[in-house]
Amino acid sequence: MESKLFNLSLSLKVIVGISIILWSFIALFPLLWVFIMSIKLPIDSFAANPLNVIIGPNTLKQVGGLSFINLIFLCFSIYIYYKFFKSREHYFLKINNLTNNKLISFLLLVLIFIALFLVLFLFFNTHIANFLNNIFKYIPFLKILSKPLIGFTTQHFIAVWSENEFYIQFLNTAMVTLGVVTISLTVGTLAGYALSRSSSLIAFWLLVAALVFRALPHSVLVTGYLELFIDYGLYGKKIAVIILLVAINQPFTIWMLRSFFMNIPQDLDEAAQIDGCNPFQAFWLVIMPLMWPGVITTGLFSFLLAYNDYLVCALLLDGQSQTMVPAIMQYFNMETTMTDLVESIAAAASITLPLFILVMFFQKQIVSGLTQGSVKG
Amino acid sequence: MKKLFILFSVIASFSLIGFSSAKACEYKNDVPLTSLTSGFDAWKVVTSAMEECGNYTPTLDQEYKDKIVAALDSNPSQYSLAGVSASTNVAVLDAGLTRPLDDLIAKHGGALQDNQKVTINGQVMAIAMMTNAQHLFYREDIFNDLGIDVPTTYDEVIKAAKVIQNAGVVDYPLGGTFKVGWNLGEEFVNMYLGYADTFFDGNMVAVNNGNGYETLKMLKKLTEYMDPEYLNSDSTYVQQQFQQGKIAMANLWASRAGAMDNAEESSVVGLVKFASAPSAKKGGKPASTLWWDGIVISKNISDEEAEAAFKLAMVGLDPANLGASPEAAPWISNAFDPAPSNIGAVMTAKGGAAPYPASAQMSTLHGVLGNVLPDYLTGAATAKATLEKIEADYITAATEKGLL
Amino acid sequence: MNKKTFLIFTMPSFMMMVFFIAIPLCLVFFQSFHFKQDILEIVEREKCDPFGCKTETLKVPVLDEKGNRTKINIWVGWENYKNILKFEELNSIIKNNGYSWSAIQSIDFYQALRFTITFTFITLPFVLIFGLCLALCVNNLLNRLKGPVIFITLLPFIITPVIGSLSIKWLFIGDGIVTSLLEYILEKDIAVFAKAWSIELLVLFYRIWHTTPFAFVIFYAALQTVDKDRIEAAFVDGANRFQRLRYIVIPHIMPLIVFVTLIHLMDAYRVYDEIVGFGAEGFLNSLQWMTYDFLRLDDSGSRYIGRASATSMLTMIGIVIILIPVLRRVFREQKEKKN
Repeated sequence: MESKLFNLSLSLKVIVGISIILWSFIALFPLLWVFIMSIKLPIDSFAANPLNVIIGPNTLKQVGGLSFINLIFLCFSIYIYYKFFKSREHYFLKINNLTNNKLISFLLLVLIFIALFLVLFLFFNTHIANFLNNIFKYIPFLKILSKPLIGFTTQHFIAVWSENEFYIQFLNTAMVTLGVVTISLTVGTLAGYALSRSSSLIAFWLLVAALVFRALPHSVLVTGYLELFIDYGLYGKKIAVIILLVAINQPFTIWMLRSFFMNIPQDLDEAAQIDGCNPFQAFWLVIMPLMWPGVITTGLFSFLLAYNDYLVCALLLDGQSQTMVPAIMQYFNMETTMTDLVESIAAAASITLPLFILVMFFQKQIVSGLTQGSVKG
Repeated sequence: MKKLFILFSVIASFSLIGFSSAKACEYKNDVPLTSLTSGFDAWKVVTSAMEECGNYTPTLDQEYKDKIVAALDSNPSQYSLAGVSASTNVAVLDAGLTRPLDDLIAKHGGALQDNQKVTINGQVMAIAMMTNAQHLFYREDIFNDLGIDVPTTYDEVIKAAKVIQNAGVVDYPLGGTFKVGWNLGEEFVNMYLGYADTFFDGNMVAVNNGNGYETLKMLKKLTEYMDPEYLNSDSTYVQQQFQQGKIAMANLWASRAGAMDNAEESSVVGLVKFASAPSAKKGGKPASTLWWDGIVISKNISDEEAEAAFKLAMVGLDPANLGASPEAAPWISNAFDPAPSNIGAVMTAKGGAAPYPASAQMSTLHGVLGNVLPDYLTGAATAKATLEKIEADYITAATEKGLL
Repeated sequence: MNKKTFLIFTMPSFMMMVFFIAIPLCLVFFQSFHFKQDILEIVEREKCDPFGCKTETLKVPVLDEKGNRTKINIWVGWENYKNILKFEELNSIIKNNGYSWSAIQSIDFYQALRFTITFTFITLPFVLIFGLCLALCVNNLLNRLKGPVIFITLLPFIITPVIGSLSIKWLFIGDGIVTSLLEYILEKDIAVFAKAWSIELLVLFYRIWHTTPFAFVIFYAALQTVDKDRIEAAFVDGANRFQRLRYIVIPHIMPLIVFVTLIHLMDAYRVYDEIVGFGAEGFLNSLQWMTYDFLRLDDSGSRYIGRASATSMLTMIGIVIILIPVLRRVFREQKEKKN
């Protein structure tokens, strides 16, 4: 309940409003545009007139598009999905009441989300919408509702994922990311916990060293090991990249986990030890269950580091073991026609989509992670 | 919308069965094979025929040079076979990454012509499938309208460009593969060979002379008639400029000639004609180099994988397959007539253009050229300073590698 | 926690950092004083290709029994550093042109240094100011809108830098829609990717676009902790909004401004992904890009590890300079804690 003194004058309100709208546009536009380009035929994607890109006249003529009915269905589906998403915690508790197991409830919830997504967007939006489209085509006054309005084609995504077998790179990224996150968290939680509980000189020096290490450019570290990895046959092996990325990420991880651990009072440790636990049991059975928010947040940032990495993966992986981000630069080098170029845009959109979903689900954690990370000694 | 459903089924099942049906291939390949080649059309023709045999994943990458040595060097090799050009062949050969093909040819390579076999000290180390050269592409209709003769020297090219620019019929009179890096280096190499014959004097580079100076000047003059973003323009970019009717002339690769008449993408079907690369001096040889592209088989793979790869490569190089797309490249084959679009490469070779002088020194020099030239073309460095920098950078690189 | 337990807990993490950060650093230091070469021999080779046969005398790598190249390390002292820093060339340029910065930039290292430094320090004030303004604006929004706005704001920060650069590149290159719009408004031909300075502006814009969300989140969280009583007291004393901002809010969040500055300096100094995404390697050079370039295979299949290592070590100097004030403060605090 803010007191009157915090009310803005009209002019300030306008400035705030305009700034927010301007920023939202600048932040969102490039990404939205990539997505719009990726669902049109090349002639439309690269048209100089932005309206042509959005509406896609050539795509409409040659392949078809979304009619008014399709759009209504789409908006409706998004609305339902959003509503469901907002009350996800509510549903989570409901499921938890039935199963009494947090992990199973979480997995069930994820399953329901995926099922809902498939039903809504694959069945509802495609078959039911098209069914209505076909009916309305014959009704005189409502015909206009079924006329395709916005060009839409999924051929580029299909070409990227099935003909060009992008799913191989997707699996590689998934494996590298999973490896980095699990190893990073395992090693990092142990170190973070110890650093938060000790104020010895060694702890101090470790933290300072971590700070210095965090500042190092990754190319410096790869320079040191590149020839060694190649000589020992580790070129093109994901495990080498996983270990390297974990190590590069360690400084950041232990700083972040340490600040999360500092929020858990030391009395709990002592109580556990009095009850007969050794330090490791105290760590695992007593402290860690309280740390899940912190672990998830740090895991998120490890995920981002591994997912977004270009330099290490480009220098050490190749062929069938390549990950998605270096592969997309290779897509550009594959292109000899405009279709190839749009396919690379579709690939870029595909890479961005999981991140989009990530921010949607984990927005709170990301924010808390960034702010927690700033609470340093 | 149905396609969305298919898309998701494919993802959901993560089917690792390749997108192939052995319809056009005579046998089914059971050994999982991979290849790394460049990305232009000719390679698409070859690799798509090979895909019909199943169990094969091609990687087409215009920048394959950046990875090929490391990829073939790893044990086991990242790729079973690789596509090489005359110069990348030297790189993989020197590093000992390819295997001799004589016994495989005896078993499966009966259909190969002798001039397809690239031998080193008598052993066949690569199979050439096509030749290539940069030669003149021009818009015949524009030339006829403006009464321009087909230029035979670069001075005539500039004169023609001036006429076309004044007439204002296209966005830019000239296009050029001047992209920073290998493409730009190649432009220098081609132009220099129009003035001189060698780049080296013994072990030392020798371009810091009058010929080098003339080369630089001519290249700069040409850029005045090009799209200002020429430092981004690779062969695909120039090809698209032609197809979209934006330029009237370019010295482009023969392997791109077929794309001019591709009705799906080109708006100038039938209007682009081909001639020999212009020469730099009147009566001199064409300022271009002759290349070949072909296939090599990795050494760091099992013998049975090598045999399967060779058998598969023969399917790709089958004259029947190449003959179905004669305009994709100047194929080396007596089994069918060359396409009309290959005339440019033929005339360039007839005019006496030299083959690209591939060697480790040349590759090093080529790399240096690609990095040093942009500053000269944008006016940030003088010709004298540029030539001195080329020399200095070459000496640094070659010394570090032990070539000097 | 006793020492033994502490050591056991931190050992895995510490070992990883030693093995994969500290040791590579030493290796890089060591390699920067050596040339790594294939052992070469002179051979005569007869090559027959579609254009005919030729016999040539070449220097080729020696292959061992397994058919692999063999490499040796040759001590060269400061040679790699001299090749990067090019002192003689620098001297002659200064003698001929005076301290003309554009002439000095013809040497790759100084071009990379200049770009890295201007990139790091020019983006900093924008990131701080935009981040703070954004935080202040969002703070005054309706609560309902805060969630979605924060969501939209986070996106530039989360998106892969290479992809983010690509998405902005597509808007500007050739006939991209923003370029077409500018051409329409200004009625002249614009080629954004033809000049180094326009690409540099785009790269700067990208980094500001990418890092502002980070500053925003941190400042926004800090704004929640501002003491409301002090603000009220200042209001009663007649301070206007701007004065309240300047004398109460900013001092309060100053430690976080320092934090954001530090993180941004460290990250911007490592600029690399943007050059890849924008395809600007012909125009721009950064210290980390220069190292990567030496590590890439060139046309003849070799890497220049010696010069890559020398560039890495020179890059480190900049990092040390950035870190010195921070470390000094940390040491001082630790000393105070002990006393």
